[in-house]
Amino acid sequence: MRKFGMKRAVVGAAIAALALNAPAAHAASATATATAKILRQITLTNTSALQYATIISGATASTVQVSTAGARTCGAGLTCTGTTTAANFDVQGTDGAVVLVGGDPSVTLNGSLGGTMTSSLTYSVPNITLGATGGNFQVGGTLSVGANQTAGDYTGTFNVTANYQ
Amino acid sequence: MLRFFKGFGLLSVFLLGSVATPAQAAGDLLVAPTRVVLDGSRGTEVVLNNIGSEPATYRISLEIKRMTAAGGLDEIAEADVTPAERLALDMIAFSPRRVTLPPNQPQVIRVGVRIPEGTPPGEYRAHMLFRAVPDAAPAVAADPAKPAGNGVSIALIPIYGITIPVIIRVGNLGAEATIGEAWVGDTPDGPAFNFGLTRTGNRSVYGDIEVTRPGVSEPLLVARGIAVYPEVGAREVSLRVPPELAARLKGPVRIRYSEDRDIGGGTIDEAERVVK
Repeated sequence: MRKFGMKRAVVGAAIAALALNAPAAHAASATATATAKILRQITLTNTSALQYATIISGATASTVQVSTAGARTCGAGLTCTGTTTAANFDVQGTDGAVVLVGGDPSVTLNGSLGGTMTSSLTYSVPNITLGATGGNFQVGGTLSVGANQTAGDYTGTFNVTANYQ
Repeated sequence: MLRFFKGFGLLSVFLLGSVATPAQAAGDLLVAPTRVVLDGSRGTEVVLNNIGSEPATYRISLEIKRMTAAGGLDEIAEADVTPAERLALDMIAFSPRRVTLPPNQPQVIRVGVRIPEGTPPGEYRAHMLFRAVPDAAPAVAADPAKPAGNGVSIALIPIYGITIPVIIRVGNLGAEATIGEAWVGDTPDGPAFNFGLTRTGNRSVYGDIEVTRPGVSEPLLVARGIAVYPEVGAREVSLRVPPELAARLKGPVRIRYSEDRDIGGGTIDEAERVVK
């Protein structure tokens, strides 16, 4: 019986440690007060990447566009293969809350074998009104590929923020 | 007791595992609350939680953003801030500024404010940015389908985060807002319900918008958390709506702009409008 009680105490301490800002529990008297503060929250989840897939450059400079819906437009002189996707972000928060979407207008990509490329970025919406199941926005872009662009793996990073007012 | 030690053993295995696994595409996050208003007498706490499936390192910083007449927020480089914006950055103290969290591990960020003697009355604001630090060397997965020679493969890594405003009010401040014309317009992303908000006074206004049809109790549209910051006297609010709602919004409506439910939900302005 003592052992059982101790185990419960350990479990209880673990739960208390997990709880945020848990007020000290007063269990000694017959009346107990339970308090909880619910804070409004926002979550941001990246569920897909902006994918231009694989491009074989041509003799003239050209562009590849990926729409915010993920559809590809392969410019003249280029060969495009693979599956393209737009970046998708899920936002969860208070039902009805308006969240502003912001981010870099362009990104520079550096190649593993030298060379750079730039991509403009387009955002599906400037703001979203969250529904009961949250909301989402997408990022597409237009990649400028040079004439006989140096082959290799190109990487770049860009900033995206969900902003509360 | 034995079970307790077993549990501890599992925990340490988990911790080792989490250190050994490099974070990839990590950085999903939760932030609460979504707005902080301080009057200088005491600070507050903001919770950051790693809701991704991998450990992630987050950086917390302050930035200055200015509202535009179109209702967007422009990021302002530190070199271009006004003295009042500089003061806002200097008044807000917070800790920690960088934290590594295993999945589902919350962290409390303590936010304090120090108002220097003689600070002119007014509203001072900065935006607290929470975002994951990208991996040092983002690995590009080898693509076996990539043709050798002139093939180009692309990896674009988003560094994504959340910003919430941290507002400091010094002195006795007041503000009012008036609802302007309302109309339904088309954007490249579909129809939007638009209206103007005009602000007077020496602080921001913040609240919820409810659009109702006279005689119908169920609101047509609810949009929460709409602000007009002091740097703008007026802004446009443009809310994307589904086409069927856009059609229903046309005609006579009542628009109510009310204060946050947390502080009573009092009416800031209410207006009858015919939506074109």
